[in-house]
Amino acid sequence: MAENSKTSSPATVAKPGASARRLRLHATSDPANLAPVRRACEKYCIEHGLSPNAANDVGLCVNEAMANVTRHAYAGATDRPIDIVCEEVPTDQGGGVRVSIRDWGNGVNPATLPGCEPNPETPGGLGLICLRRLMDEANYVPQPDGMMLVMVKRKGV
Amino acid sequence: MSDLRTRSDLVTAARKEGDAVVVAVRGEIDLHNSPQLRGDLLDLISRQSPARLVLNLSEVPYMDSSAVAVLVESLQKLRKTGGRVYLTGLQPRVKGLLEIARLGTIFVIVADEAEALK
Repeated sequence: MAENSKTSSPATVAKPGASARRLRLHATSDPANLAPVRRACEKYCIEHGLSPNAANDVGLCVNEAMANVTRHAYAGATDRPIDIVCEEVPTDQGGGVRVSIRDWGNGVNPATLPGCEPNPETPGGLGLICLRRLMDEANYVPQPDGMMLVMVKRKGV
Repeated sequence: MSDLRTRSDLVTAARKEGDAVVVAVRGEIDLHNSPQLRGDLLDLISRQSPARLVLNLSEVPYMDSSAVAVLVESLQKLRKTGGRVYLTGLQPRVKGLLEIARLGTIFVIVADEAEALK
């Protein structure tokens, strides 16, 4: 891990003035972690040049992605690990913030599941719709022992 | 008008007004606490069978898809008795998510409680 990375639990990441180049969070799949992780990611995005609206989009997508991990990859278990990394995207690569969410669950790729158009009567799948609508990139990268979601939000979008 | 009892901290006030039940909700709602809201709303619907369920969300700055699912489940339960769900006080983040979910087509979104109670 890089020297200027910052590793912490979700409860302690939101230190005022902190502006590490990389934010690395180790959480569990307990939904109680959704809000502190979301807020930490939003704060990182603001500190690294995203607009408040763009940061809010990232926060919602982190929330939805983590909730999907708990519900689907971990079948509701609340004591399994989820790692979240926020990092700057270099300007020559378009700029913005990249968020990676790693789990060690069942390895099912949610993007391959059917039925992802919004249907007001059946809101299941809304999390994936948010990822596709609100992020500039959102790709599931299968891992030998789980899954990693890599999302990018560009500046000024 | 009569005050109604609820269990969770998310519902700050609930009252019966004519054929309507008006519920004030407060706080950020995600998968961690949306089951509490679900319990309160479904319980109110079961006990009161209102023709109109008015949800004042002016103190809800954030919700995720699990909260949206609670709203939809409440609507579906209310529809069985011909009822409707009114939403008021939508903050920007909540409004944005409801738009992504295309929920404006099934809920009645109004400016304030008075408009819902007309």
